[in-house]
Formats: sequence, structure tokens, C-alpha cells
Amino acid sequence: MEWNGMQHFLLVLLCFLVALIPRFVPLFFFRKRKIPKWFNEWMEFVPICLFTSLVVKDLFITKTYAFSIAGTIPELIASVVVIAVAFWTRSMALSVIVGLALVFLLAIVL
Amino acid sequence: MTKLVPNPNESAWRRNFGISFPLDISYISIGIACGILLHAAGFNTFNTILVSLLVFSGGVQFLIASMLTINSPLLTIVLMLFFLELRYALLGSSLSKYLHGQSILFMFLFSCSMNDENYAVNYLKFSTDKKFTPRDALQIEHWTLLFWTLSNFVGSVVGSAVKIDLTVVHFALTALFLFMIVMQVKSLLKVMIAFLAAFLAIFFLVLTKSTLGLVCATLIASFVGFLIDNYLRRRRIKTHHKSRLIKMFKNPAGTPKE
Repeated sequence: MEWNGMQHFLLVLLCFLVALIPRFVPLFFFRKRKIPKWFNEWMEFVPICLFTSLVVKDLFITKTYAFSIAGTIPELIASVVVIAVAFWTRSMALSVIVGLALVFLLAIVL
Repeated sequence: MTKLVPNPNESAWRRNFGISFPLDISYISIGIACGILLHAAGFNTFNTILVSLLVFSGGVQFLIASMLTINSPLLTIVLMLFFLELRYALLGSSLSKYLHGQSILFMFLFSCSMNDENYAVNYLKFSTDKKFTPRDALQIEHWTLLFWTLSNFVGSVVGSAVKIDLTVVHFALTALFLFMIVMQVKSLLKVMIAFLAAFLAIFFLVLTKSTLGLVCATLIASFVGFLIDNYLRRRRIKTHHKSRLIKMFKNPAGTPKE
């Protein structure tokens, strides 16, 4: 099926809706209600788990959802360095720039 | 920029621009890459700008581009996106305690332009900077949205004329997440939970063959972390035994001002 601009437009609007619902509903629900203490304590652990999952997906999972590290050797090496840089400098910009430079260089070398 | 009229709002805008700047920079390359890909998938410039403004998610827009090139039906794409976006329910919930009592319009605007990266920055600022307000958070979202949309527009115009190594560009986001993880790791328990999340993510991603695995891994690992944390805290009250697991790490770069 060949898509035209109007169908793309429809797709964008539908995507907007499905993107908005999960973002808006929880924020709206807890707007006036008092959030239970246990829920907050649980949410303490959400960011770290989510970021770890996203990184793991980038580094260890292929596009066809198989476990493999063969294609991401430069990224894996750079990741270790990024963790070290982030830990010692606490600088977001420096971590990202060092990481990017290293992946770029390693992709040429390896 | 004028110094004649001292405007407190303007300095806030500029301060927030400074906070969002590392994100803005990483969005330029990935946004241009995304625009190029959407162009290659047949999106015209208008639709590329629109999807950047309304959906504002690198992951989703890359997914749209790749699914369009393999001719997926509309319903499949929308359903996939819904699962990909489902994790924002968790993000929204974890920020909600900082956004208490805001108007519906604010909540609507805030949720429209919330994504992984600016959420991470905002969460970090909310949890470390007491002066950080919901308005500041919304401004940071809008700065990143501006850079994201402009970069997508440039990418769409540049089109297929330029070839960019997307794997290198994509690593900017991975590095950003790694930085966020390091910032979040404040106790031995959190290190262990991060490893649990990593293991579960691999397991569920391979099992579900979709990004739904991210939701499963995040939900389970964070809940296990909460249970252990809760148990250790209770035991501490009862027996006065302080577990090494929940002891806070010393910051190697010095103690941040709370």
C-alpha cells in the first residue's frame, strides 16, 4: 500500500492521541489526590530501572529482538568509559561528548 | 536580551535554556537524523514538523519511519506506538508528586511535550534542586521541543542527500541514559536493582519481541527494589540494625547542595 500525505497526517494525529493518553491520565489522576506513600517509594526505583532497560535494549538487543553483543562492541566499550566519566565528573555534556567521540573512533578502528 | 527592562521571566528562560542545553545539543544530531529518515519513509516536511511537535519522541518517530518503510498497516503502527508510549504512565506518575495542584491546562501542556530525556532532566532537577518549579520543568520541555522540531525540519529538508551513520548518533541518547543511571545510583541496593532491571530487560525483550519488555522489566525490577527497601527500613526501626544496602554513597565529586 502506497501512503499519501493525508494518510500520514491521519497517522500523526492517531499517534498524538496514543502518545498523550499514557502521559496525561496519571498526571491528571494524581493532580488533587494525595499520592500514597508506598507509591512514591515505589516510583523512587522507576527511573533507574527504566533507563537501565533502555540502555540494555540499545546495547544487547538486536533489531529483531535477539540477544547479541556482536554488533555493538564500540558502544559497549564506550559505555564503560561513559559510566566512569559520569561517575567522576558528574557532567552530562562531558559524558555524552566523550561517549560520542569514542564510538566514532572505535567504529573506525574496530 | 535587552538589559533596560529587568524581567525575571527572561532570566528563568535563559537559566532553563542552560539546563536543557546538553539535551538540545544531542537532539540536533538525532533530530536531523530522524528528519532524514522520515523523509526517506515518504513523510513530507509539514507532517514531519507536525509529528515532531505532537508526538515528540525519537523512539516513536524512528519506529514510524521504519514501519512505514516495511509497509505496516496503520492500525499495527498505532498499536505498537501505544505500547511504546505506555511507559510514560510510569514517568508521569513518578513526577506527579512534584506537580501537585497544577491546573488541567498545565498538566495537558506538560504531558504533551514530556519525553524520556526531558523527564530525566526534570526528575533530576526536582529531586536535587528545591527551587526548581513546575514552570521551569515546562520551559525545559519547550526548549527541547523547539530544538527537536527545528532539527527534524532541517533533516527533512536535507532529505536523502546526506548519509549519516545513525548508530553513532543514536549513542548520544544511550550515553545520556547512562549518565542518568549513574546520577540515580545512590546506594548499593540501587546498583543491585539496576542489574536486576538489566537482566529482566534482556529476558522480557527477547520473550515479548517488542518494547513491551521494557515495561515488564521496569515494573518488576522497581517493585522488587521497593519491597527490599521497605523491608530493610522496617527492620532498621525495629532492631536499629543499619543495612549496608541502603546506606547512601559518598559523592566522589563532593556533596551536592540539597
